Amino acid sequence: MRFRLLGAMLALALPACGGRTTPSSGTSLDDVGHRIALTQPARRVVSLSPSTTELLFAIGAGPALVGRTRWCDYPPDAASVPSVGDGLDPNVELVVSRRPDLVVLYASAGNQSVIARLDALGIASASLKLDRLDDLPRATRLLGRLTGTSPRADSLAAWYQTRLDSARSARAAPVRRVALVVWDNPPIVIGAGSFLTEVVALAGARNVFDDVAQPSAPTGIETITARDPDMILLLGDSVPSLGRRPEWRSVRAVRERRVMPLKGSEFERPSFRVFDAIRSLRASLAAVAQR
Amino acid sequence: MKWLALALVAVTALVAAVMVGPAGYSALESLRALAGRADPATVAIVRDLRVPRALLAFLVGGSLAVAGAALQALVRNPLADPYLLGLSGGAGLGAVGAIALHLGGAWALPACAFLGALLAVALVYRLALVTGSILDARVLLLGGVVVGAFAASLMAAIMVVSPAAELRNALLWLLGGFGNASWQAVLVFGAYAVLPLAALYLASRPLDLLTLGEEPARYLGADVERVKRLVYVAASLLTAAAVAVSGIIGFVGLVVPHAIRLLWGHLHRSLLPAAFLLGGTLLVAADALARTVIAPVELPVGVVTSLVGVPVFVLLVRRWTR
Amino acid sequence: MDSLILDARGLLFRYGPGDAPAVDGVDLTLAQGELVAIVGPNGSGKTTLLRLLLGVLAPERGEVAVLGRRVGAWDRRHLARVIAVMVQREEPAFPLRVREAVMLGRYPHLGPLGAPRAADHAAVDRALSRCDVAELAQRWTASLSGGEWQRARIARALAQEPRALVLDEPTANLDLGHEMQLFELVAELAHQDGLAALVVTHHLNLAARYADRVLVLHQGRVAAAGPAGLVIRRDVLEAVFGWPVDVSRWRDTPQFTPLKRSEINP
Repeated sequence: MRFRLLGAMLALALPACGGRTTPSSGTSLDDVGHRIALTQPARRVVSLSPSTTELLFAIGAGPALVGRTRWCDYPPDAASVPSVGDGLDPNVELVVSRRPDLVVLYASAGNQSVIARLDALGIASASLKLDRLDDLPRATRLLGRLTGTSPRADSLAAWYQTRLDSARSARAAPVRRVALVVWDNPPIVIGAGSFLTEVVALAGARNVFDDVAQPSAPTGIETITARDPDMILLLGDSVPSLGRRPEWRSVRAVRERRVMPLKGSEFERPSFRVFDAIRSLRASLAAVAQR
Repeated sequence: MKWLALALVAVTALVAAVMVGPAGYSALESLRALAGRADPATVAIVRDLRVPRALLAFLVGGSLAVAGAALQALVRNPLADPYLLGLSGGAGLGAVGAIALHLGGAWALPACAFLGALLAVALVYRLALVTGSILDARVLLLGGVVVGAFAASLMAAIMVVSPAAELRNALLWLLGGFGNASWQAVLVFGAYAVLPLAALYLASRPLDLLTLGEEPARYLGADVERVKRLVYVAASLLTAAAVAVSGIIGFVGLVVPHAIRLLWGHLHRSLLPAAFLLGGTLLVAADALARTVIAPVELPVGVVTSLVGVPVFVLLVRRWTR
Repeated sequence: MDSLILDARGLLFRYGPGDAPAVDGVDLTLAQGELVAIVGPNGSGKTTLLRLLLGVLAPERGEVAVLGRRVGAWDRRHLARVIAVMVQREEPAFPLRVREAVMLGRYPHLGPLGAPRAADHAAVDRALSRCDVAELAQRWTASLSGGEWQRARIARALAQEPRALVLDEPTANLDLGHEMQLFELVAELAHQDGLAALVVTHHLNLAARYADRVLVLHQGRVAAAGPAGLVIRRDVLEAVFGWPVDVSRWRDTPQFTPLKRSEINP
């Protein structure tokens, strides 16, 4: 009897010790070390980042979503959720008008003041880092706990982790060298800080700028020419065709017309669609290489 | 004698800029590539990327310095800078507009920046025309600041509506760089700049007279109103083209004329050509620094000129007030 | 003939359409070798008159002729070779050495790019020594005293090798010694060197003693014109300046003394 009481007390005490395993607990910590003040599963969630919107739908918390950013474009169901404007530097008044009990944000320095204001209003907030492929399982589990969808979330996270591990172990030496170009003037390339570098690696290619620590950085055409990628992947929808620019002609990949646009929101953020993305990328790279 | 030294420094800077770069060739290799005696990739980098880039930086730096010197004489103020005319705001607005509207084509961005700059200049000019056709230099300065601020706030408004990534790209372009330099750009800018530069040089004598004041200059034979208009238009055209080609590069137009004044005096017959050489040299050096100091990442050139320009400016101001 | 540099007749000028005339019916001649002074209270039209004479403003009525030709028909540069002007206030925007500042006076004679030749340097040297500022040639203009700067400016005017000098309040901020020096210099330039000199000044007594003719302006009109004896008179001065004066003679020239309240006869 005493043991059972002790056991029950211990079980209740465990959440207080940083409870990462107990569902619907009120004392989880988010990715910026901020305490998430929820005592029961969130019923009204505002998501201020396309990646978390996608995640919430994937784990079955879609019905609880009452607000999203205007950039949240996946899944298509997200369109029926009212928009509250921007995710970075959001309109707090609009967010609060949706009467959320949880606001999910992207972990950026600029959102500090937003978190402070939400705290002052007594609204729980969770800031998530979703930059690398490794960030996804943790975020999934956390959101599962916060929305009371842990069974689905945990199993999704586990599935993802397994597939990621196997993709990583199956990784062979890179066959191709690529550069991912986001902008042309000045030329901005993707670096190791972005999940895309790993996506590209898992697709059998190497980002020639994986020595750049930031997610993206400006560089020069000379550097791109010197590093001589076999092909160039273009991101974003407003980069003009490089082939017509005289100064880009010195890049071999441009001369040989091995320039491929990477369209699709699965290339904009880590998501569960990443494995499809890797597969299609692997196929496209092979196709371009044959040309 | 001084001219020889300056010319030598300019040539050295140009050659050094061609020899230096993230591709990591030795000086000898670069020179051989210049002569065409290296593998095609190296030759392509040196001849098609480094040389036009160095030349464009030289032309832009020289033009900004000459425009700055002439404007300082026009508004009779040693603190005048080409960007005080509201140009940078207008150019930024044009550039951001082009990005926000997703205008394609290699020349969309420079063309819109150029147009935006000219629009701002025209507005300031109109503001400064008091009673008929007299250009009031004080209103010119004030109008430039006001129009520039207005354009900058419009630009900020557009940027708020754009996605964060595009915003950052626009800002990086605005901070200045020669990443898109090509032989085409060198030839277009060079051909374009000849006329305004020549016009400013031919105005050397009236500009000297303006030092004394508008009235004394008039009585010494200068057609003051015509000179003011000519200098304003020529300096604006030069600066607008410079911004269109390479973003906003500050301090060159302000600091170089001062350095030349200290070494050469104030007579524009020698001030303007010397400013051209020094401005070109400095910008070539700044660009070389920008692309090598944290390679493979390239710093915007405007950042380098500001970082170097501010301490130099402080030194110059202290000499002025001595 | 050629000795008449400036000839102005019947000048009428208004700044705005409904305004009272700033200059009304003024005649003025200036010949070689003479020193003419223009005096009058503030707002009497002295500076406007100068601008009309120099062709900066166009009169509503009347004409100004320089060396027989209408002033508006003169090219600015050629006019600068005939008439040298010293404006009231002048401050160079950038530091200049005295010699450079004086060399600027040669610009009406130089070619488009303005490179000075031997003749120009000689003219500058002559001007510098004539005005007694030769030893200041390498000094910065900003370091000169008031009197030295005025003499340097006259040197620049002389470097233009003009036929006439026009000086607008040249002794405004000078102390007594420098003021006298300046008038002596200008009188020499007119009476010995043969230049024509037109001086706008507040110093009526000095004008009376140095000038060959004095023009008194009052509300845009000529209140009196002629040699000092005709102009420095109690009735004229009291009407123009609105203050009781006493006129006496120093050697042969009339001089006026403004009266204190206690000195005014009841």
